[in-house]
Amino acid sequence: MDGMSIVAVVIGTIAFTVAAPLLGCLLAGIDRKISARMQGRVGPPLLQPYYDVRKLLEKDRVSVNASEGLYISCALFFTLLAGGIFFSGGSVLMSVFVITLAALFFIVAAYSTRSPYAEVGANREILQVLAYEPMVLLVAVGFYMAIGSFDVAAALGAPVPAIATTGLLFIGFLFVLTIKLRKSPFDLSYSHHAHQEIVKGITTEMSGPTLAKVEVMHWCENVLFLGWVGMFFLWANPLSILAAVAVALFVYFLEIVIDNNFARVKWQAMLKWSWLVTIIAGGINIVLLTYL
Amino acid sequence: MSYITKSPWVIHYDASSCNGCDIEVLAALCPGYDVERFGIINTGNPKHADIFLVTGSVNEQNIGVIKEIYEQMVEPKVVVACGVCACSAGIFHDCYNVIGGVDQAIPVDVYAPGCAVRPEAIIDAVVAGLGVLDEKAQALKAQNKAQKKGA
Amino acid sequence: MGMIGFLILFPLVVALVLLCVKNNQARNVIASIAAATIAFASIALTVVYFGKDSFISLSSPVIDYICSAIGIIIAICILVYAVRYRNILAGVLALVQVAAALVFEFGFSHGIAVASGLYLDSLSLLMALVIGVIGSGICLYALGYMEDFQAEHADAPDRRPVFFALMFLFLSAMFGVVFSNNMLWLFTAWEITTICSFLLIGYTRTDEAIKNAFRQIVMNLLGGIGFTAALFFIAVNFHTLSFAEFIAAGAANPGLATLPVICLAFAGITKAAQMPFQSWLLGAMVAPTPTSALLHSSTMVKAGVFLLVKLAPIFAVSFVPSVMVILVGGVTFTFCSFMAISQSNAKRVLAYSTVANLGLIVACAGVGTPEAIWAAAFLIIFHAIAKSLLFLCVGTAEHHIGSRDIEDMDLLFERMPQLARYMMLGIMCMFIAPFGMLIAKWATLVSFVDTKQVTLIILLVFGSAATFMFWGKWLGKLAGIAGSPENDEQTVHRSEWVSILLMVVLVVACCVGLPFISLYVIEPYIATVFGTFSRGIADGNLVIASVATAFVVVVLFAGLGKGKAKKAEVYLSGISVDNEGRTFSNSLSKETAATARNWYMEHIFGEQAISGIGTVCTALIIVVAFLASVASLLGMF
Repeated sequence: MDGMSIVAVVIGTIAFTVAAPLLGCLLAGIDRKISARMQGRVGPPLLQPYYDVRKLLEKDRVSVNASEGLYISCALFFTLLAGGIFFSGGSVLMSVFVITLAALFFIVAAYSTRSPYAEVGANREILQVLAYEPMVLLVAVGFYMAIGSFDVAAALGAPVPAIATTGLLFIGFLFVLTIKLRKSPFDLSYSHHAHQEIVKGITTEMSGPTLAKVEVMHWCENVLFLGWVGMFFLWANPLSILAAVAVALFVYFLEIVIDNNFARVKWQAMLKWSWLVTIIAGGINIVLLTYL
Repeated sequence: MSYITKSPWVIHYDASSCNGCDIEVLAALCPGYDVERFGIINTGNPKHADIFLVTGSVNEQNIGVIKEIYEQMVEPKVVVACGVCACSAGIFHDCYNVIGGVDQAIPVDVYAPGCAVRPEAIIDAVVAGLGVLDEKAQALKAQNKAQKKGA
Repeated sequence: MGMIGFLILFPLVVALVLLCVKNNQARNVIASIAAATIAFASIALTVVYFGKDSFISLSSPVIDYICSAIGIIIAICILVYAVRYRNILAGVLALVQVAAALVFEFGFSHGIAVASGLYLDSLSLLMALVIGVIGSGICLYALGYMEDFQAEHADAPDRRPVFFALMFLFLSAMFGVVFSNNMLWLFTAWEITTICSFLLIGYTRTDEAIKNAFRQIVMNLLGGIGFTAALFFIAVNFHTLSFAEFIAAGAANPGLATLPVICLAFAGITKAAQMPFQSWLLGAMVAPTPTSALLHSSTMVKAGVFLLVKLAPIFAVSFVPSVMVILVGGVTFTFCSFMAISQSNAKRVLAYSTVANLGLIVACAGVGTPEAIWAAAFLIIFHAIAKSLLFLCVGTAEHHIGSRDIEDMDLLFERMPQLARYMMLGIMCMFIAPFGMLIAKWATLVSFVDTKQVTLIILLVFGSAATFMFWGKWLGKLAGIAGSPENDEQTVHRSEWVSILLMVVLVVACCVGLPFISLYVIEPYIATVFGTFSRGIADGNLVIASVATAFVVVVLFAGLGKGKAKKAEVYLSGISVDNEGRTFSNSLSKETAATARNWYMEHIFGEQAISGIGTVCTALIIVVAFLASVASLLGMF
């Protein structure tokens, strides 16, 4: 059985490596299209994110040191592994831990440049982890309590979806999801497309192919996070996968709306609000799950 | 056709000018003209930029900044001089501290005259710059290929 | 039997010899050989006796009398220092404790004979490995370190013989703690660790060192008095002084065991430096770094958690002590992790992280289920190895860059390339998956969820986020690369390299070998103590963690620094004057150096803001637990 699960993870990771960049790229394209429409613009072609990455890959390979590129490759690798673990039906908590490792490599890459702007971005990224990590861990715990296992596959055998008993946790998760998707008002360390950051926050010193890897990593992250959204809605009915996809897409649309309607907040506000939401929504839900 | 022509990211620097062209560049990047249609994005970071938009003339104080931004941009890259001051120092050309147009500091690929330069002219210039960018991208590719073969 | 006796007595003999040896060269040879001997002896013991849990019949009034004598000597020693430095409280506590101990020994304990004085099981073997391998590794490291230390403090008299004697005495006492089944002997060994750390903390004899040493002794004497009180209750209520019999009887009759277990847990909490007693361990940072490493990783505080983990079967059935230990541990974990964010002194960060991780182990012990003990055992292993590695690295860095401030470790990646990588490995092992510590935390989380410990779950998730913050930013500082500064690594002593490398190998071996350690070491122990065991983490995940660890280690030591991209300069938002030095010409044409400090968020996570709340909370928890247990005892009679 265990040999099977490791094979599943390997296959899952390979599949995720192929599928996630495709899906993530499309998502990013739709995101930019919808954002543009919300602002009364036509916006870029749907495949614009793909063009961007191809362009970055064509750029000259320069770096401020000989380690940054490897750190980013590791970050990308562990993002793919996290996705592979999750979508092969493995442990949610393991995928949370592995994606946190990816975040750490991303942060250390920025630190390694020893550039003042990149370091500001890295510090903010660490702060973002501090802000969202408690909620994300509680979501994994809540999933375990609702389904009886950390394994995503177990949800497909559950009589009712996790959302039936984890409504508050889901709302709390949506709140910190804004940080994880790097959307306003919580895109403190680095934000995508036209948003400006202090120079460019954590990615200040990354250019060309390295930046391309960061973009691809971001796509894959987005797919994984939407997977976490979807897992709340899985149950024994195979059709529930369609429901999960629909909800995930709706949530992504919601995040685009939020992104376009809020200005970036200060870090104090981000930390305060995300922890408050975690304690209230997460705490109450966990108490209810424990005693009901 | 290189992908760089589909995704030109710009960086904008305002040298010494009356700020008129500066405002027009920002206007061109505003939703009204929607340059994102062409994949154009305004970045604040030379390391991410492909096209360098400079407004205003070069003086003793800012020549170093212009050179440094240019140097930190990653190949392939093009420079667009926006407005008459950037092209030839315009009405400031006789000032004691003015060196001249942007081409006195770095190689310029496209000149977009005007006082102030109109957003349409800027967009035109950037599109013209794409052609240059494409050439440079092909050249870089060929060069890298040759290097790999040599190695 | 012979091997246990050897492990307890051999370090004692070495300590006596080292006390008399003044010659540097001779000391180096003796201490190195002794350290290696102890390490091999503990490994040999483990190999020979593994899986053969046994009690060793040993009962001798002579040893009892020796224990009493040691107790009196310790008390006299403390009294002398208390008089010399005019610390009344320490003197009074020492008197109270020795009086109580003597009354107990001659008034109560005489009718009670303990047939098996010593024992060994998987947990004590595991602890013996930690003490024997890591502890003696640290002693070895101290040889080189103390040479530099003495050179820096050339005006102070050379008291290294005393220092090394104390280090080895410490190891001997720790072996005594983990192998004694006779609680009187256990208590004596316990007290020896207290006095040893007192003397080691006060080693430099500066005002600060003396003050902190007394803080340590006062807090641990309180714990010692708790231990003595527990002995009274156990002797009166259970008519035994055998630790194993007490645990069995206590688990069968939790009501009667409540008060003694609370007293023992209190002793464990003081020794493990849990809030509200965390300040002694932070104060202990004034001591030379090998002392800190020894106190934090393999001895002293581990004696505290060892005691609590042993008591786990009683916690599992006894409500009040369990709640007390769980809450104290949980609050300590979270609050100390928060406070670590605000520290820039590397040793203080390490200290807070130690206290926090011990809090987690304490909480696991309090939960007392087999899964929690699995987690606790792994937390003990990984914490001991990674923390000693970090202390040794910080100590070496301090001697070569002249500071223990994290901000000054900027560019260590280039200045001390090997050391920085080892330090990065140690840090990663402390807080991030797939390394062992986080896998243990995962098991902790599962056991908290399974036992419905809602408070602990919430404390754990916030505390874990905080650990990411304070380790992450330190790791980042170490990783900085700019220019090619001079290599400061050439003058590191060989003994320091040897022991640091030992820890590195242990970290990698234990993280990669985690599935095997679980299967062959921890699970047998839990099976014998609890009868049943089902691990909260599937094997597949352990294997993934193990493989991923190997991957990260390869990247760290073989991959970094080999990129072939063209060299670019960093962006400084101005005209670079010296890009490698990060100086630029600012808008007024003046030179400015661009610097970035890490965030410490003093006003949110500062000690002032948090330690008060934590101290009050935990003190209240302990007081209420005591009152509740006394009330329940009165209600019973």
